[in-house]
Amino acid sequence: MDNLLWGLQTTVLGMGLVFGLLALMWGLLTLALRLDRPDEPQAPSTAAEPSPGPQPALTGGPDGETVAAILIATLTHRAQRRREAAPAMRSYWPGSLLYASRWVGAGRARQNHGWRRGYR
Amino acid sequence: MDGKTNDHLQTLREMRSRAVLGGGVKRIEQQHARGKLTARERLSLLLDEGSFQEFGALATHNVSAFGLDKQRFPGDGIVTGFGKVSGRRVAVFAQDFTVLGGSFSEVQAQKISRLQDLALESGIPLIGLNDSGGARIQEGVRSLAAYGEVFVRNVMASGVIPQISLILGPCAGGAVYSPALTDFIIMAGESTMFLTGPDVITAVTGEEVTAQTLGGVEVHTGRSGVAHLSAPTEVAGLSLVKLLLSYLPQNNNEDPPQVRPDDPTNRMDESLNSVIPNDDNEPYDIRDVITAVFDHDSFLEIQPAYAENAVVGFVRLDGYSVGVVANQPAFMSGALNMDASDKISRFIRLCDAFNIPLITFVDCPGFLPGVKEEYGGVIRHGAKIIYAYCEATVPKISIVTRKAMGGAYVAMGAKQMRTDLAFAWPTAQIAVMGAEPAVRVLYREDVKNAADPLARTAELVADYRAQFFNPYRAADVGQIDEIIEPRETRPRLARALEVLRTKVQQTPPKKHGLSPT
Repeated sequence: MDNLLWGLQTTVLGMGLVFGLLALMWGLLTLALRLDRPDEPQAPSTAAEPSPGPQPALTGGPDGETVAAILIATLTHRAQRRREAAPAMRSYWPGSLLYASRWVGAGRARQNHGWRRGYR
Repeated sequence: MDGKTNDHLQTLREMRSRAVLGGGVKRIEQQHARGKLTARERLSLLLDEGSFQEFGALATHNVSAFGLDKQRFPGDGIVTGFGKVSGRRVAVFAQDFTVLGGSFSEVQAQKISRLQDLALESGIPLIGLNDSGGARIQEGVRSLAAYGEVFVRNVMASGVIPQISLILGPCAGGAVYSPALTDFIIMAGESTMFLTGPDVITAVTGEEVTAQTLGGVEVHTGRSGVAHLSAPTEVAGLSLVKLLLSYLPQNNNEDPPQVRPDDPTNRMDESLNSVIPNDDNEPYDIRDVITAVFDHDSFLEIQPAYAENAVVGFVRLDGYSVGVVANQPAFMSGALNMDASDKISRFIRLCDAFNIPLITFVDCPGFLPGVKEEYGGVIRHGAKIIYAYCEATVPKISIVTRKAMGGAYVAMGAKQMRTDLAFAWPTAQIAVMGAEPAVRVLYREDVKNAADPLARTAELVADYRAQFFNPYRAADVGQIDEIIEPRETRPRLARALEVLRTKVQQTPPKKHGLSPT
């Protein structure tokens, strides 16, 4: 009987300590989130006020104009890379054997019949 | 590592540092003050980051005449090596104006020749950035022989690997012939090209002329046709090289890169159905047709300011590189003359050499009549077009949009020019000559004897137009394969090229043909 009581006391003490620490961490996290929350927006006044300008698209991020500028720059760069046939824009590498036609390869070899590397 | 090796490494590092500085800090500053970049700055802009592999950086001349022994610079005024442009291997050289004005020396020639040999053997494009005052006079005949070494290799590489010359400063005397032997010349900024400079011209002929008015960008892109493209700045010129290269293969055995298509081949542009004006003599801009038919934002016009009555350039169709040749009705009614013939024929041969299919838009009232043209040899100039089309073995497709008269019809890609497919729009007018001159020839007596010659002429002209000013006669006899709605042009061309992509055609064995010159 003594052993059973001793066991129960240890279990309650151990579990209590664990749950107690978990509750403390929960409380600390809740406090941290509450402190980190952005300021509440002010309640709109009853009188109609002129808009100060474009509202930021993302809280804490770049404003709408910056996002638009980045978007245009990215698209322009992409178009330029496409025009220059950049590697990412190519279907295959020049001279790739994967896409080579044997018919064309043999035909071009015949077309260049008179060609020699050592021309001297 | 022992001390001796360290010394060797230190020596090498010092020599490399000297080579990187070219003619020295002062000369580099002067180059910058002129608004120009140094050879190495240009290469860093042209090539993919970290891809340049130089060789010959420590080569110097061993000439002592005229105090040249005191002016020895590692590299001897030229930077040569390999690199990558958009991931593609290229051989490249850049003349360094900071070293003795970039003057062309025996060592320069050795370095360029070595590069040319390696480029040809490796089958990769060669790009030259020219900025040189001319031959190194102190080296005498050595410098002249050096030119010859480069010229012969330019010719041997011609039609095998693409060769592009970007002129970024002066290019005078014999030095002009090396770019002239390459496939493309791009002039950037305030660059100049001439055989004999303004001072020599003044001394010999008494003519007063400046370097720019003698051989500036406008002269060679607009009047002489020596240069194919121009750019306002060096940076734009280097960017143009990258763009141009994207349409070209690595060598004559390969195909140009295909860009992943982003423009559907089935797209039909309704505006094409109304692009031809109702009045036969009203002009329209053929560039509108080209941009509507091919992949959007893919048109790179070659020699846009020279012989504007013809339009040539590169486009993409379903991502594949295609050469386009067209008459320009908005300039001289699209009539062919000597310059236009030269422009078209050279472009055809270039596309043929590098396996780029050709698409021709025909709207040509004929060859330009005139004493000046005949005296200038328009016959042999015009024959160049016929020769080039007949000789070309790449896929060839023609589309008659409006006028196709007389010899110009034959020259501009008739079926007999080994054209694979001939399309025509319903607005096509395929005839031996225009209605009025035809009536004058055919019905001279009839009109003369008529009670009202003017009314009779009008009647006969109307009859002639009804008979010949349509594509159906040509379709009857098989000269036209299909008459299509203008808006169908893109899908039709895409499907035709899909079939013709594996076309192989041979010409009889010969040393070389004799193209009219």
